[in-house]
Amino acid sequence: MLNDRQQASRRGFFNQFALASAAIAVGTGGWVFRPKWANAALGPIKIGVAADLTGPLGFGGGAQANVARMIVKQINDSGGLLGRPVELYVEDTASNEAVGVANVRKLIQRDKVDMVIGGITSSLRNALKDVIVSKGKTIYIYPEFYEGKECTPYLYCSGPTPSQQTDNLIPWLIKNGGKRFALTGANYIWPHTLNAHVRKLIEKWGGEVVQEEYFPLDQVDFSSTVNRVVSNKVNVVFNTVIPPGTGPLFKQLYQAGFNKDGGRLACVFSDELQFALNQPEEIEGLATSLDYFQAVAQDDPISRKIQTEYDKQFPNKQMFAAGGGATGVYRGLKLWEAAVREAGTVERDPVAAALDHAKIAEGPGGPAEMVPGKRHCKMNMYIAVAKGGKFEILDRSVGLVDPREC
Amino acid sequence: MDSLINALFQMLSFGSIMVLVVLGLGVIASMMGIFNFAQGEFVLLGAYVTYFVHSLGIPAAIGMLVAPFVVGGFGFVLERTVVHRFYNAPVAAMLGTYALGVIIREIVRGLIGGLYLSVPEPIAGYVTVGKLHFSSWLCVTIIVNALVMICSYVLLAHTSFGLRVRASLENPALARASGISTAKIYSLTFALGAALSGLAGALIVPLFSLFADLGIRFLIQGFIAVLVGGVGSFAGPIAGAGAMGAFSSALPWLISPVIADVLVLAAAITFMKFRPQGLIWGRGI
Repeated sequence: MLNDRQQASRRGFFNQFALASAAIAVGTGGWVFRPKWANAALGPIKIGVAADLTGPLGFGGGAQANVARMIVKQINDSGGLLGRPVELYVEDTASNEAVGVANVRKLIQRDKVDMVIGGITSSLRNALKDVIVSKGKTIYIYPEFYEGKECTPYLYCSGPTPSQQTDNLIPWLIKNGGKRFALTGANYIWPHTLNAHVRKLIEKWGGEVVQEEYFPLDQVDFSSTVNRVVSNKVNVVFNTVIPPGTGPLFKQLYQAGFNKDGGRLACVFSDELQFALNQPEEIEGLATSLDYFQAVAQDDPISRKIQTEYDKQFPNKQMFAAGGGATGVYRGLKLWEAAVREAGTVERDPVAAALDHAKIAEGPGGPAEMVPGKRHCKMNMYIAVAKGGKFEILDRSVGLVDPREC
Repeated sequence: MDSLINALFQMLSFGSIMVLVVLGLGVIASMMGIFNFAQGEFVLLGAYVTYFVHSLGIPAAIGMLVAPFVVGGFGFVLERTVVHRFYNAPVAAMLGTYALGVIIREIVRGLIGGLYLSVPEPIAGYVTVGKLHFSSWLCVTIIVNALVMICSYVLLAHTSFGLRVRASLENPALARASGISTAKIYSLTFALGAALSGLAGALIVPLFSLFADLGIRFLIQGFIAVLVGGVGSFAGPIAGAGAMGAFSSALPWLISPVIADVLVLAAAITFMKFRPQGLIWGRGI
């Protein structure tokens, strides 16, 4: 009797559990925004966003989706694109390639979107490009800074490349830090490829790499590395260890006296979110190089307008910051919009031909333009240094910087 | 010489952190015969409570004092409502506790917005001895761990509660026949194990920052530590944790960290092949 009752209640429990998990699985699936207007016989233009809304990269993916929402709203408020409304289809990749591919297939096959934008890791981009570009015959824009070397037709990169991020930064670091470099990185493709580029630059400008080390992606204890950094009398630690390791590494360097003895930290994905990772004194003087910082908005009215608009629409949500690809989404969508207006259609080939030389005058951090034939973006770059819990812009590029890819 | 002292200090500190994490896991594995896959999330909860208290503007040190009690209480409720149903089904227990762990982890991820958040040390900075810098907070961690170990030992070896715990561990049927409520002992022990992990989380959050996957790394290392140390006693997992912690923090001094990570696992597997009963075998303390 007792046993029966237990069985029954257990079955009930599992039923409820299955329901709950189904709700969790489906609930985050897709958000569809349908502006209530359809005056065009051709139907709406559809933009697909594949963003890491959940999982470890959620802080960046959420902001990417928000920027897309903001731009679609802007386009629709000002009369749409080619006289047609724009619909936004957001799918979650859950920071996972398998989930990403499955959900992006929905964008391509079910929703039949006219373009896809989004993604943070290179592994996700590589997994998605086949679904979107080869099989899906659709344009894909990848908005994140990355290691370069992506030259697939119909795949456009709107974030900075190694050349844009480091060609100016390394000589600046040698001048404002010293000649002895340690390269610390997470053990995957971006740190390895970027560091190969950085090593050449360091040697070209008369510095030397005294230490180059890679770590498992979840490593949080760096004591042996920190000890070697101190005993090798390293001047600059050029870091590509990604979270969760970033905060602990900088803290352990600080506690070993690296900063006090005049060492400089450098980390090219650090944006305003870095200040959540560390106490301000631990990363005082940290140098970074990206296409946008909130400090840029102080003296650039266009950047300020974008930043204010984002903060108004998404208060207390994921930050509008360059490190997670939010600025890349802005740039990528605006360039695509310009290309569609020029082409007068959303067909893939005419849009690609127009996107090849598309330009925008207004974007976060300044104007941007595609380099014809290269599918990468020219943009302004900034070198910023952490001071008392804020980034200060210490150097800005003269004109747009060439991505030097493909 | 300086490097050697630094390395020894790091081995000691990382070893003692591992001991604290693993103690709860080991106690539950030895006593109830189940592996609690949600143990890493107790570490995470301890860290989260500390962060939460800190974010209210209250000093993080208060959060660290509160964390073990909150997590212990949570563990108690969890045991009474869910975990005790799994004692007779170790495989289902792994799946069930794994599911609990995922639920806790994803809730915390939602609460912190998927971010990586730093919590300041109550005692910041470093102690300088000659040319060497030692993190003050690591020193505190080592001392607290030592105190917790002593208290746990006294509790288990010299109190009547400890006697009943040991009795339930060695021969549950006889313990029940002697009028000991093993169900109650199990709940309390589970809560104690959760509280210890919560304390570990609270102590390490200033070092490693708060993020949703904080517990996972410790969970995997903790399991290997329990297996290396030996299931069944209290000393086994502790010895295993100390060995694992010291070994995994010593290896990167000698070889590349990526290889070290793999080598620790390889060494643990080899060790278990030749000594499947673990470092310390047998029941008791």
